[in-house]
Amino acid sequence: MSAVLHAHPESGPALGITTTGKTRRTLSEAGMRGRWWRFALILAITAIVLVPIMVTVILALTPGPNSTTTGLTFENITGVFSKTLAGVWLQNSLVTTLSTVIVSVAVAAPAGYVLSRGRSKAVSGYSLLLFVMQSLPIITSVVPLFILFAAMGLVDNLMGLTIIYVGSTMTVATWMMAAYFDSIPISLEEASWIDGCSVFGSFTKVVLRNSLPGILSTAIFAFLLAWNDYLVAIVFLRSNEIFTLPMGVQSFFQQNLTDWSGVMALAVIMMLPPIIVFAALNKYFSVGGIGGSLAGR
Amino acid sequence: MSSTTTSSGLARARKGLAPGGSGGGTGNRKSKLSAQTSRTFFWLLLPSVILLVLIHGYPLFHAGIQATHDGNLIQTGSFVGLENFQKVLSSPAFWKAAQFTLLFTIVGVFGSWAVGLGLALLLRTKIPAGGTFKVLLLLPWVVPIVVSSTAWNWLVATPDSLIPSIFRNLGLGTPLFLADPTLAAVTVMIFKVWVSFPFMMMMTSAALASVDTTVYEAANMDGASRFQQFTQITLPLIARSTYISWILMTIFCVNDFPTIYLLTGGGPVDATTSLVVLAYRTVFQDFATGPGVAIAFLMTITLVVVSVILYRQIRKSSVE
Repeated sequence: MSAVLHAHPESGPALGITTTGKTRRTLSEAGMRGRWWRFALILAITAIVLVPIMVTVILALTPGPNSTTTGLTFENITGVFSKTLAGVWLQNSLVTTLSTVIVSVAVAAPAGYVLSRGRSKAVSGYSLLLFVMQSLPIITSVVPLFILFAAMGLVDNLMGLTIIYVGSTMTVATWMMAAYFDSIPISLEEASWIDGCSVFGSFTKVVLRNSLPGILSTAIFAFLLAWNDYLVAIVFLRSNEIFTLPMGVQSFFQQNLTDWSGVMALAVIMMLPPIIVFAALNKYFSVGGIGGSLAGR
Repeated sequence: MSSTTTSSGLARARKGLAPGGSGGGTGNRKSKLSAQTSRTFFWLLLPSVILLVLIHGYPLFHAGIQATHDGNLIQTGSFVGLENFQKVLSSPAFWKAAQFTLLFTIVGVFGSWAVGLGLALLLRTKIPAGGTFKVLLLLPWVVPIVVSSTAWNWLVATPDSLIPSIFRNLGLGTPLFLADPTLAAVTVMIFKVWVSFPFMMMMTSAALASVDTTVYEAANMDGASRFQQFTQITLPLIARSTYISWILMTIFCVNDFPTIYLLTGGGPVDATTSLVVLAYRTVFQDFATGPGVAIAFLMTITLVVVSVILYRQIRKSSVE
């Protein structure tokens, strides 16, 4: 336990995560007096909250029971790559997730534009439909899709997995894009129409070009959802070499004696990409965000 | 999606501004552009509609068929009407799971809201390294559930795990966090709050950041206490965002599968079986497709009703 707690002060800055200075409002001097008291409290809370994550990292870097080395080591991580299909799983996860992100944004951005600019009954009806669909339990559609995909040879297939991930991310992604487009003044487009630009032209040249933060926050959302999914993977993936990382991590538990150093090494590999993505792009996500998209509409 | 309806849409969106040329377009020009607009809108929306029909519409329709038939994953059997629903609604397992789902959702929503709000308030004032804490505290939400459930397993699963050993060393006995039905339910809910509070913190922080601080200065001058300021000013000002975050978290909690399944598998003795876990096990472990889909369908109907009502509420409050 003490090792866990002590590890924290170093592990924080070591991640190198800093947020850009968002305007933080200070409430009079009363807030300032409590500064150090607050600092200590938040430090303690953060330390406790991060225990499970620190445990994972520490176990991944600690020599396993059969190891002869002492101190911190990377042998669990190299071992998991050489002894299991971790490399293949990582590749499967990356391919599926990145395809999901790209297709999801490519579908959601144009649809979001129509949702944002269109004012007809059909458009608002479609918006409602998307909202309802995103709230439904995925288990309802998974069973029929399993039967359909089995007939099409898409079970135990990364493409089948990607199609479902795109389907489940596109609803919220469309809303997020629409909320972002709402913030782009229509007068910008009007100027381009006057210059003879078509509607599609103004969408790509004016709106999309000014939408990088919105696209990135939608992309992060799709990334997290596809990378973290477990339910669809457990239903649709059957064979070892098609596993994505969540299934890979879970496959360690099928043995009677769990290889904790191995599973934690793989867990660390699995949690690094989302942490890196989030650390690099966090400011975009707080600008957009799922909640923000709903709040903005 | 008819293309004629969307065309009138953009015309209105443009608020009467004459497009297509300077000095005000003629009626002919205008209709030409709105015809072009509706065509463009149609093509822009088409991929989304196709996907929605393929991934959401068709499965929902097919689920309706399965729910009213017996059979299994390989073969849909004969039509049985509402028999599957009757079977499900009369089974104690369903009601037990419904009860647990309700409790899990209430604790998940308000537990994560309370923690998230507290931390958002704490982080609002200037604290050294406040930004770093903000990002570090998001980690439970960013780290995949498969990873965090593995870590939680390591921490609590067996009597020799870290946290039970700490309890033992403190002379508090050795709690079996995942083997005792009540403790397992509590553990799953704490785990859910741990996973979800960063989302609530993020939502609340964003709402708090948009609150105009001069309101507080006025309240300070009027001699309002900190607590009064919190209940009378802060909470009402972030009410809309709070409301939306509750809605979203309710949907997340009701539909949550991995948080529960990965930590307890629904056990011990079904103590932590939620409706999604029950539906999953009915279909993929008992191979009873009809009843499993019927459970999912009952959840679906409930969520459709709830989300349409809530959607209306959001729309209404955004007009105000």
